[in-house]
Amino acid sequence: MWTRDLGYRPWQGKTVPAGFRWSVVALTGIRLAWRSRWVRRVLLLAWAPALYCGVGIFFFENAVKQGTLQPVTFFLRPYAEVVPELERISIALSQHDHALARHRFWAWVLWLFFRHPQGFMLIILVGVIAPDLIARDLRSRAYLIYFSRPLTAWEYLCGKSAVLWFYLSLITFAPAVTLYLIGVFLSPDLSVVKHTWDLPFRIAVASVVLILPTSCLALCFSSLTTESRYAAFAWYAVCFGGWIAYVALSAADVASGPFVAAPLASRWAFVSLYHSLGQVQNGIFGLQDYSDALPAYSLGLATLTLVSLAIVHRRVLAPLRV
Amino acid sequence: MKRMHDEQPWIELEGVTKRYGQVAALRDVSLAIYPGLTGLLGPNGAGKSTLIKVLLGLVSCTSGRGRLLQCPLGTGWAKIRTLVGYMPEDDCYIPGLTGVEMVAYLARLSGLPRIEALRRAHEILDYAGIEQERYRLVETYSTGMRQKLKFAQAVVHDPPVLILDEPTAGLDPRERQVMLRRITSLAKEHGKMVLLSTHILPDVQATCDRVVIMSQGQVRISERLDVLRRPSSPSCYVKLLGDERAFVARAEAAGLRVEREEDGGWVILGIEPSEQHKLWRWACEAGAGIRVLRQAQNSLEKIFVEAVGDANHVDA
Repeated sequence: MWTRDLGYRPWQGKTVPAGFRWSVVALTGIRLAWRSRWVRRVLLLAWAPALYCGVGIFFFENAVKQGTLQPVTFFLRPYAEVVPELERISIALSQHDHALARHRFWAWVLWLFFRHPQGFMLIILVGVIAPDLIARDLRSRAYLIYFSRPLTAWEYLCGKSAVLWFYLSLITFAPAVTLYLIGVFLSPDLSVVKHTWDLPFRIAVASVVLILPTSCLALCFSSLTTESRYAAFAWYAVCFGGWIAYVALSAADVASGPFVAAPLASRWAFVSLYHSLGQVQNGIFGLQDYSDALPAYSLGLATLTLVSLAIVHRRVLAPLRV
Repeated sequence: MKRMHDEQPWIELEGVTKRYGQVAALRDVSLAIYPGLTGLLGPNGAGKSTLIKVLLGLVSCTSGRGRLLQCPLGTGWAKIRTLVGYMPEDDCYIPGLTGVEMVAYLARLSGLPRIEALRRAHEILDYAGIEQERYRLVETYSTGMRQKLKFAQAVVHDPPVLILDEPTAGLDPRERQVMLRRITSLAKEHGKMVLLSTHILPDVQATCDRVVIMSQGQVRISERLDVLRRPSSPSCYVKLLGDERAFVARAEAAGLRVEREEDGGWVILGIEPSEQHKLWRWACEAGAGIRVLRQAQNSLEKIFVEAVGDANHVDA
């Protein structure tokens, strides 16, 4: 027996309010996830595109300031044929409507940032973190010790979700806001704030749209099995399977019909989680061609979120009922 | 010694029924459990685990009502779970954490502040007998170590009530004794109200003040252990050395009933304490020596088998 073992001693301290117990689950989950080398690698990698996009904004702003828009227009024109937004930026620049061009360019860069590097990174990161969150607790029967404490299933889920929210916001919201701030600081004058003040809010909304449905769906997969590798497989299968289905169906459309200028506008986006999220983000960043699809895809993602939440809540409490 | 043992029941159940579909896990259970150490016994499927889950609010009862430390079951689950320390029977742990991290984490979930939770976790792990192993991941713990860890997490927030489900399962004989001493000490010296659910009858016999025996979802017996173990007629237990037959013949000739015990001793039924001098005389006459002489008690095993056997017979 150790010399410091003084036997049982009562504890008479003051307990903390019950409202924030979910944050204890969240903080512990965040610490546990941080121990994974892969999580740290993906996080590091996810910040690189922000710098790349920041350089793009820097060159655009300098071109606007120096009135040397010709190279920018020249650079954008080839892409403008396939991406209507670039055509609009190009037209705004040629009409010397700098405020409109600037807003469109910044929104387009941020949309690109969310859509491509971060969207992909998000799929990878969710697949690394989420499968363990509930599946491991189910396998180790941790629910018995969680729920014998004053913790509700919703608080537990909120804590587990917050782990994902934290890491996903580190690769979406945080770098996007940093990118915006880099753009502002590298801009030659502060009029840029006047022209783009709404973008941080759009970034916040876009981040929520990315994070909520994906975290709920991934937790749902995690709650359906005690083997986290199956949950990871299901997640990647849904994301990449949907992606492949989308590309195949869109390609079939293209092959059988007239040339589609913007493949993102394909009617098959709903088969892919990634492309459905993209459709909603198009609307959030005000890219005109795709705004019409916003209500339908928002409703779809909201339904997916709610159904996932209902399943995960039921699955978390299911072992206690037997 | 801390005294919390005023004779008010800390668990009161009235007509509690719990059904899982067509299967009734608890059937019209009415029960009062008083402070001290209470053993909860019953064969597999008797409804012990369901009863514990109902008490903790992990499942809601189909009908009936009850209170735990004056908190109503169902609506008062949050308060109840702050008052109860629960040690599950199942092998359960939080993967990815070390022993001390897990206990501190669960202490925080019970409401302890962060620093205090860590300090208290170390203190309780000392008490539970987990030494340097506390810095190892819980996945690497042996069964006995996990058992101690589950005990530590149950008491880390110093709850007045402990519900311990098979606390000695998987422990070696020495650790089992130590665990039972800890449980007894918490009940007797620290005023904890303990419900000890187990299949190991000697553990209950050695530690508990009261016993509840369940079978087929119903409470068959709920009584003080000393009352239960008291024989229906005055009797005494003797263990002899020498010619036992002659001794038994003399006792039977005096009109007493004599029963052989499994351990080789004899129970002499119907003999008053004032007549015990006769035993010495018969032993002397029979040329036998008395090695043990004490008041006879019913064995818990016998009580258990009778209660469960009767129930099976009645319900069959």
